[in-house]
Amino acid sequence: MHSIRPRLINENGLRVDGRRPDELRPIKMEVGVLEKSDGSAYVEFGGTKVFAAVFGPREAHPKHLALPDRAILNCRYHMTSFSVEERKPLGMTRREIELSKVIREALETVAFLEEFPRASIDVYIEVIQADGGTRTAGLTAASLALADASIPMADLIAAVAVGKVDGQLVLDLCDLEDKYGEADMPVAMAPRFNSVVLLQLNGKFSPSEFKKGLTLAQKGIAEIYRLQQETLKKKFSASRPMEV
Amino acid sequence: MPIYFSEHEVVLPGQLLSDNGKRSGEGTYSVEGKVYAARIGFATVKGDKIHVIPLKGVYKPMPGDRVIGVVSDVKPNGFEVNLGKHLTGIIRIPDKEQVQNMRLKVGDAVYVKVKSSGLGGVLLERDEQIKKFESGLLVQINPIKIPRLIGRRGSMILMVKKLTGCDIVIGKNGLIVINGPSPKNEFAAMKAIQMIEEEAHTSGLTERVEKMIREIISS
Repeated sequence: MHSIRPRLINENGLRVDGRRPDELRPIKMEVGVLEKSDGSAYVEFGGTKVFAAVFGPREAHPKHLALPDRAILNCRYHMTSFSVEERKPLGMTRREIELSKVIREALETVAFLEEFPRASIDVYIEVIQADGGTRTAGLTAASLALADASIPMADLIAAVAVGKVDGQLVLDLCDLEDKYGEADMPVAMAPRFNSVVLLQLNGKFSPSEFKKGLTLAQKGIAEIYRLQQETLKKKFSASRPMEV
Repeated sequence: MPIYFSEHEVVLPGQLLSDNGKRSGEGTYSVEGKVYAARIGFATVKGDKIHVIPLKGVYKPMPGDRVIGVVSDVKPNGFEVNLGKHLTGIIRIPDKEQVQNMRLKVGDAVYVKVKSSGLGGVLLERDEQIKKFESGLLVQINPIKIPRLIGRRGSMILMVKKLTGCDIVIGKNGLIVINGPSPKNEFAAMKAIQMIEEEAHTSGLTERVEKMIREIISS
């Protein structure tokens, strides 16, 4: 199937969806959306819609996987069959298994797992609509859900992708830019300590482009981090301490 | 020493609380001499430490805690006791005959004391310290809400006990056993406990609980 490559940046310097190169898509965040989970979150980045749910700390199964000194973190990143244009077969693909792993490793850097020896904490990320940047949206949602579940953690994680389309650096790629662009680099950070917890790169960046891209990502992450804090504060500001 | 929050403010993971790393208490952590919040909750100062009181969470066993558990396994050298959610406690009894003499079966609810908790798992005291419940209602609530259920100097739980006439045993792990003169009274006590759990963060709770118990009992 060969389609004609669309023009990704028009003569006014705007992108396919009318954004400036350093502009994020409209973001929507909500926490505590799933009743049966211990913590949950829903995140929307334009057309990308993701649910995350956290269960636990609970007994680790199978039991031999439990660790005596800390909890194990299980993570499942999954795209629903209807999330993409052509139906995705059920089950975990190679790509989903890999993303589950990198997301788990990113979350492990901030969560204080040693607080719950022998237990397991399960994180489920379900993409219900995919329009580029699902792993970054998933990670953003997962960190919100962990915070909602009251799992001790050093910081929230905010993530965004930067890329190169038509020779220009852009922030927060959509599906079209991801497909026809020259490079795509998802970045996740724990903004409090400015530490990078996930970084992948698809395509080619020159060293100077890489540096510029990382700064651009940091700018986006700062904005997303602020939104995450606002969302959590909004949900819990109504609660008051117990009178004991 | 500056602190960066107001009393009972809701803080988020990673929020800077103080410049003095020695003041790190429960629910916080310190990096490079600074204190940050580790979870969502209310920041408070107690003594010279800063604590974050979480809004929800799981029970963390401490030596000396009295807890309620359900026997989940009988082994030649002791019992395994499920303490709700993710925790399993172990009662070690070296004498095989003594294990049989105790007549504990899988599914029995017991009132026990935590001996130690660490890399060896949660160990429970044996001998006289174990009390088996012969009857009653087993209720589970969030362990974070236990202090509210007990109330100031036990005021809340005493009120529930007095009005319903029930004997209520509270385990620090969130499990509660209710024994009452009639199913109606037991039901009233259970409803009261659930109401306290749900509305722990509201004021004027004692009066509302009292009203509800009276309504159920007089109906």
